[in-house]
Amino acid sequence: MTALDQVEVKEGVDQETVDAVAQLSGAYKYGWNDDDIEMDYAPKGVNPDIVSLISSKNEEPQWMLDWRQAAFTRWEGMSVPNWAMLKVADIDFQDLYYYARPKSMEVKPKSLDEVDPKLLETYKKLGIPLKEQAILAGVEGAENDLPERKVAVDAVFDSVSVGTTFQAELKKAGVIFCSISEAIREHPELVKKYLGTVVPPSDNFYATLNSAVFSDGSFVYVPPGVRCPMELSTYFRINAENTGQFERTLIIADKGSYVSYLEGCTAPKRDVAQLHAAVVEIIIEEDAEVKYSTVQNWYPGDEEGKGGIYNFVTKRADCRGARSKVMWTQVETGSAVTWKYPSCILRGDDSQGEFYSIAIANNYQQADTGTKMVHLGKRTKSRIVSKGISAGRAQNTYRGLVSMHPKAKESRNYTQCDSLLIGSQCGAHTVPYIEVKNNSSRVEHEATTSKVDDDQLFYCRSRGMDEEEAVALVVNGFCKEVLQALPMEFAMEAQALVAISLEGSVG
Amino acid sequence: MALPQFKQDATDARLDAVTVPEGAAWLTQARKDAMTRTATMGLPHRRDEYWKYTDPATLVAVDAPAAEVLDDDDAIFSDAKPLTLVFVDGVFDAAASDDLTGENLDIARLAEAGAQDIHWAKDIYGVLELAGQNPVQRPLASLNTATATDGVLIRATGPVDRPVCLRYRRKESGTDAVLHHVVRVEPGAKVTLLETGSAAARLSTVTEVSVADGGEFHHVRQQGRDHGRRMNTHTFARIGEGSVFKSFTLSLNGVLTRNDCVIEMLGDDAVAHVAGACVGDGDGFHHDDTVFITHDALRGESRQVFKKVLRNGAVGVFQGKILVKEGAQKTDGYQISQSLLLDDDSQFLAKPELEIYADDVACSHGSTSGAISEEALFYLRSRGVSEKAATNLLTLAFLAEALEEIADEGLAEDLRDRLAGWLDRHAG
Amino acid sequence: MLEIKGLKVDLEEEEKSILKGVDLTVGAGEVHAIMGPNGSGKSTLSYVLSGKDGYEVTAGSATLDGADLLDMEPEERAAAGLFLAFQYPVEIPGVGNMTFLRTAVNAQRKARGQDELSAGDFLKEVRARAKDLKIDAEMLKRPVNVGFSGGEKKRNEILQMAMLEPKMCILDETDSGLDVDAMKLVSEGVNALRSEGRSFLVITHYQRLLDHIKPDVVHIMSNGRIIKTGGPDLALEVENNGYADLLAEAE
Repeated sequence: MTALDQVEVKEGVDQETVDAVAQLSGAYKYGWNDDDIEMDYAPKGVNPDIVSLISSKNEEPQWMLDWRQAAFTRWEGMSVPNWAMLKVADIDFQDLYYYARPKSMEVKPKSLDEVDPKLLETYKKLGIPLKEQAILAGVEGAENDLPERKVAVDAVFDSVSVGTTFQAELKKAGVIFCSISEAIREHPELVKKYLGTVVPPSDNFYATLNSAVFSDGSFVYVPPGVRCPMELSTYFRINAENTGQFERTLIIADKGSYVSYLEGCTAPKRDVAQLHAAVVEIIIEEDAEVKYSTVQNWYPGDEEGKGGIYNFVTKRADCRGARSKVMWTQVETGSAVTWKYPSCILRGDDSQGEFYSIAIANNYQQADTGTKMVHLGKRTKSRIVSKGISAGRAQNTYRGLVSMHPKAKESRNYTQCDSLLIGSQCGAHTVPYIEVKNNSSRVEHEATTSKVDDDQLFYCRSRGMDEEEAVALVVNGFCKEVLQALPMEFAMEAQALVAISLEGSVG
Repeated sequence: MALPQFKQDATDARLDAVTVPEGAAWLTQARKDAMTRTATMGLPHRRDEYWKYTDPATLVAVDAPAAEVLDDDDAIFSDAKPLTLVFVDGVFDAAASDDLTGENLDIARLAEAGAQDIHWAKDIYGVLELAGQNPVQRPLASLNTATATDGVLIRATGPVDRPVCLRYRRKESGTDAVLHHVVRVEPGAKVTLLETGSAAARLSTVTEVSVADGGEFHHVRQQGRDHGRRMNTHTFARIGEGSVFKSFTLSLNGVLTRNDCVIEMLGDDAVAHVAGACVGDGDGFHHDDTVFITHDALRGESRQVFKKVLRNGAVGVFQGKILVKEGAQKTDGYQISQSLLLDDDSQFLAKPELEIYADDVACSHGSTSGAISEEALFYLRSRGVSEKAATNLLTLAFLAEALEEIADEGLAEDLRDRLAGWLDRHAG
Repeated sequence: MLEIKGLKVDLEEEEKSILKGVDLTVGAGEVHAIMGPNGSGKSTLSYVLSGKDGYEVTAGSATLDGADLLDMEPEERAAAGLFLAFQYPVEIPGVGNMTFLRTAVNAQRKARGQDELSAGDFLKEVRARAKDLKIDAEMLKRPVNVGFSGGEKKRNEILQMAMLEPKMCILDETDSGLDVDAMKLVSEGVNALRSEGRSFLVITHYQRLLDHIKPDVVHIMSNGRIIKTGGPDLALEVENNGYADLLAEAE
């Protein structure tokens, strides 16, 4: 029996964590900027002309442009929401670039091997699995060398999608996985039918802005009865300075289908805050299931709170069909400001929604995140597990809604939200809304706030770990339930991220 | 910042209709200041986040909606042989009340003492209410400070053995009563305040409680059962080192009840418990407990325990918050809100919040909502207990955790009996 | 005393037949045992007799001293003298064991037209009965079954039986989860209650309980029917050879 087996640290922490922590050193490791990639910018600011420009760059049909312009008109009459527990400096929405793309992408590469090597270099540095890079670079026969587990990647660089892997194999299964700009051109009937039906263009300030100016993003359609043969993944990278990134993701899981989708995000270190306002819509039909996992590691700003990404994201899944299922898993370690509530509309009878979240805020980071579980159908079930960790001078808020409508008979919700504080200058907040309008449903909500257990830390240290290792270990144990919900590849990365994000939080 | 027009209009209409009573200079000043801040804040509206789950329209309206008068149960709390003050439709009834004297007790009415040039209540009247306006505005409380016609000023200078009981009675069907009480517990002193009855068709009370180091304040109230009555009550407490503040409220019936409790724990090792049990039967019953506890000292212990039993379209609301300020280490904060929905028409709406800026704390909250346990019901019935009796027994068991918060066993028993009797007569 | 004729029962939620025609007669003062493999319908029989929701009687009858049990509410069956000692007694937080017992005793007395027991008489009675079952005062004060061990829960069931003085007692797998000492204690409690006017139906998977509570008649139940009835020896046969032979024989 090893010493660790006897440790009464939070259950489930293992040697891997310790190793992963040991391997990683240094602060934000995705912080370089590739300024030598030549960019094509639209003029700063947003107005109907810019909206038209973005639309024309993407070679969109008229109906799409009309949709965008209507959203823009609405957005002009809206004001910035202020209900979150966030202190955000006013954003000058006219001082941002709304469209930037690598010059090399001006003429769409006809095949992946025409992709600019410099872009591929960036993705290599991001650690996107090398096999995919080989494919991104079009190395012949690369697909044959792959191990069994495959991940198809759509890479979005600033405003545009630079390449999607495994297209052919996915096509064979009938799965459409491409950039949303391509989907608008190639599959307008699907886009028209579903876009904006989960997050309407009028939804909220940031979603409406996104509806007007989204530049690219990913599109997934899984046909009836198809189990997507591999994980789908999008890597988002903001590179250009003063650029807002507005991507739009639309996922449709038709009857009886299944897909697991991963999303990763990074950005370079810049002194000036950058804006990210994405929208993700998921439609899940009868008996279908979608897993959506995010590791959000946008640049969080430096130790003084300078720079970093402002992350205002609207994510929502609509469980339309009976027995449909959605599972959101998120690891939020990055961004200076996070405003994000991946939600589930449980419309179909017996549908299920799950939300697993780890939100870590260190230094001057601020996170206001959580979920909404709206129970409309009978016997719907939801589960929320949220782990918030605050360190440094950070503020971390869980905000959630559980709503049982009168017709959602015999439904269930269980919510557990735990907060951990490291250091005496940070804050941890919990703001749940619970609305129960029928009596056959059962709602249970539990929340705790505590500090890292001194006895556990001491025990780890007495076994030779330094304080940071010990904290990382205990925190990983605290998060275990959520980490376990992630797909394997992500779980390892996330575990390591937990450790990195907390660097400098002790002592 | 200018108020939205709809709010401005509602505020103007109400403020034009109220009168600020006469008093000594200190009281007049306090009332004038309160009137000014009420006008600035504007009266609440459904669109305010703090009134998200309760529509304040009938509390804000110029006229009190009429409410039928019910004969109230005068016997409650009589076993405790309290020093009793009776208010009828908000007006003091000297003949029905006891003499205002007692050991270690300095007690007077606002209407009389407020005419004196110097009075100890000056340091508290409107002061704790003002402090409680931040970070959340409570304009109905400042309106009360400005317009309260009477109330009781209680100062405990040592242990007060005999509880003080305020009995509210009603004769008129459509009146407002606005009462403002002030309690000061000196170091090491102790006092118990009891309240019971429906005071008016629409009652507003503010109770400001200052508990000095080592002092103890106990508060037990039963809110009147008149079905049509409305009330909004505010308790503002500021408590010192090693002090104890405990408040319990039993609510049966009443078309609208909003109880705000705002506690600031300023001294180390203080204890604050707020609890409530409510049984709501019928469409239109709306009961809202809103609690805000601020820990601003070391080793504070706070508990919020609220239980609601709802049926026939009744709505129960709980908004509770624990705020732990930076440096308030070793805070122990607990909060539980639970509802038992006896049928499908009733609703439970809750917002249990934690806001924490200190790391060495243990805070938790739980909230549940659901129907009565079928298993337990069957078990009881298989032992020969009727469905109605079994439901009542389980309902009482559900409420028990809240009633346990009452320190005085005699008072707790009194309320328990009344609750059981009430359930027996009304349920099923 | 208890007469069950051609009783057929389905699950209410799904179309599944559990009891497929049960005939059983228990005379006054008799002790009958029902044995059978898991899923044979033993517990369902006890639930249907005591009136639990979720079952639909499609045919047959069950009477207690001629009164139609199936037509009664659960509490009416209890008042008529039926008692079920549960396999898994439910925990009821917030309801004190004493309060529970007193409410039940008085409810039944009232239903039978008797006066309620005074607090003093009731207390005296409970203490005496509890002492026999080695139930201490502390256990009586705690909420019903909350935090009780398996043995404590079962003893508590027997205490209720003793207090309620039923005519017809059904013991549903009372031996499950009990060690030897606890089983002895429970059995002694049951045996002390045996009398001419009181009958027992002991449902069990194993023979061992029947070493302590000696049955007059043993029934073997399988697939919703009683497939064999015999004397105490039948239980020993099961103990030695298992159910397989009996089941094969019944085929």
